[in-house]
Amino acid sequence: MFRKILIANRGEIAVRILRACREMGIPSVCVFSEVDRTSLHVRLADEAYLIGPAASRESYLRIDKLIDVARRSGCDAIHPGYGFLAENPALPRASTDAGITFIGPSAETMESMGSKTAGKQLARRSEVPTVPGTDDPIENADEVQSLARAMGYPVVLKAVAGGGGKGMRVVPRDEAFASSWRDASSEALNAFGDPRVFLEKYLESPRHIEIQILADSHGRVVSLGERECSVQRRHQKVIEEAPSTIMTPDLRRKMGEAAVRLARAGGYVNAGTVEFLVDASLNFYFLEVNTRLQVEHPVTEQVTGLDLVKLQIAIAAGHRLPFAWETITPRGHAMEVRLYAEDPDNNFFPCPGKILARRMATGPGIRLDEGVYRGWTVPIEYDPLLSKLIAWGNSREETISRLRRALDEYTITGIRTNVGLFRRILTEPEFLAGEIHTKWLDQLLVRPRPPVIPPPTGTAAAAAIAAAYWESIQAGRSADGQASATRPSRWKEEGRRFQLDRQP
Amino acid sequence: MKFEVHLDSVTGKTKHVVELEKDGSSYKVSLDGQPVDADVILAAPNAVSVILNGAAFEIYIAPSPDGTYKLQTGTHEFQADVRDPRSWRGANQGGLEAEGRQQIIAPMPGKVIRLLVNVGDAVEAGQGLVVIEAMKMQNEIRSPKRGKVERLQAKEGQPVNAGDILAWVD
Repeated sequence: MFRKILIANRGEIAVRILRACREMGIPSVCVFSEVDRTSLHVRLADEAYLIGPAASRESYLRIDKLIDVARRSGCDAIHPGYGFLAENPALPRASTDAGITFIGPSAETMESMGSKTAGKQLARRSEVPTVPGTDDPIENADEVQSLARAMGYPVVLKAVAGGGGKGMRVVPRDEAFASSWRDASSEALNAFGDPRVFLEKYLESPRHIEIQILADSHGRVVSLGERECSVQRRHQKVIEEAPSTIMTPDLRRKMGEAAVRLARAGGYVNAGTVEFLVDASLNFYFLEVNTRLQVEHPVTEQVTGLDLVKLQIAIAAGHRLPFAWETITPRGHAMEVRLYAEDPDNNFFPCPGKILARRMATGPGIRLDEGVYRGWTVPIEYDPLLSKLIAWGNSREETISRLRRALDEYTITGIRTNVGLFRRILTEPEFLAGEIHTKWLDQLLVRPRPPVIPPPTGTAAAAAIAAAYWESIQAGRSADGQASATRPSRWKEEGRRFQLDRQP
Repeated sequence: MKFEVHLDSVTGKTKHVVELEKDGSSYKVSLDGQPVDADVILAAPNAVSVILNGAAFEIYIAPSPDGTYKLQTGTHEFQADVRDPRSWRGANQGGLEAEGRQQIIAPMPGKVIRLLVNVGDAVEAGQGLVVIEAMKMQNEIRSPKRGKVERLQAKEGQPVNAGDILAWVD
């Protein structure tokens, strides 16, 4: 096992990794930027080193500084967490050169599986279904139309040079093909100076379902089952759960086997995730591979009882995965919400600031993975993820009611959070029925809001009393000795200021 | 002590007159002229617990840059403007307007991206002084009073922390 592990990250994931190290009895080393001196991962650390200014590219993205800290502090392994350098092959390469073990796949594996195009080629080679379509642009409209007929409508035409939805046309049926082709080509030509287009099968309201895999360095690859992450806001996952409401034992086995095949073909080692889109007929199509630990890994941990971070460390140290895990099936239901310092009423703008007060969510079936505390100022420089609130229970219904209860307990004052968004989602009939897809949340957010449920009787009166009481103790004029003793009289303050102003 | 509390929430605006009278270690509370069975304590920093006729409420309070308070209880939020008719310190800092020099403080950490005034400029109450950007959002910091910009501490491009002094208006 390792002597000491460098945690090349910050925030909640640095805390998560630190806890795994501590449970395994391995000392760990944290790094921090200038604005992160008071961050929770630094407060909890065994050892911590400053690696530079706030800007990530001068601190958390500096491979040279990370390797230097690892060397100086005697680390023989590096855990990258997620984000920052987690999918950058330069970090495993530099680690290996320095004789330090990288906890994750090799640089070569990252390159051959990490990019969308390379991953897609690997998927084809290992007979994992990908979204049907043409690999190369076709310029002959008749040829494309016969392909579209063979594939079955709807299809989508995408500009080769495209982006941002420009030069993209969904073709619902054969009669619309000719006009869509014209529109897509001319739009592509106008926008990008290149009229060439691809043809792809259009998936209507697909679900995002991903398979968590673990692979040891002795050739064993296992699937830990799926996570459904269909609730997304502009392609960002917002809620993740396991199992998926549409999963059947047969589909789980097929998707698991496809993910394992792909991992084997790529020589994958350590924890990874294979993402798929699943259509209404339960056909699944490869999307991409994430060659790292995922933000939503706790969902899998709660339904499998496994600790993925400890397993990552054990795999990197050369340990074998037990044979029996090839038949792992999830138990119960787990769901995670990502609480961000952002304002849902103001276009989800990030809202960093100081946390004045907070009440934590605890109790049965609740897990809170986070890197925040009362009195801490959420820095403006990084991703504003505050906490991951995870609930689990025997059924999806019990899990949702626990999550709702926990969200009511979870209170943060001083900054705005997206907690209200989750309160709404968790009462939407479609969500409760599991009728979700990757565009569901974006569509929900443009619908009118449900009517506001009036607060319980007496809430406004209690709020008025609380506000008056707060005002009285703020002013220090109450008989509440503490407040008045610590706060000087405004008259005295003003008098002193007047005196100072008269100084030459 | 008597306070006029103006509450604003999604369910509407209300006004309450709250009287608090110290009674041993607790308070006698009256609401809109009527004595009520209420117990009010500070349960934790910025968290006030109110038990009103047996119903329990925990109310989290945060000051807003404009001098009002933001109240959260359960799933509901209120904006409270508290006025003390007898005091020159009311919410909105309204009483201070005529009273002298004002420090203009950064309400959030961020970066000063624009100065809207110069030293010596005459400003109106509510006029923008400095623009602070926090995570791509621009916030105009306004003058709480009519007067003259006495000093400008803020510099364009400079990062600031919450509570840093940006300017003085007299």
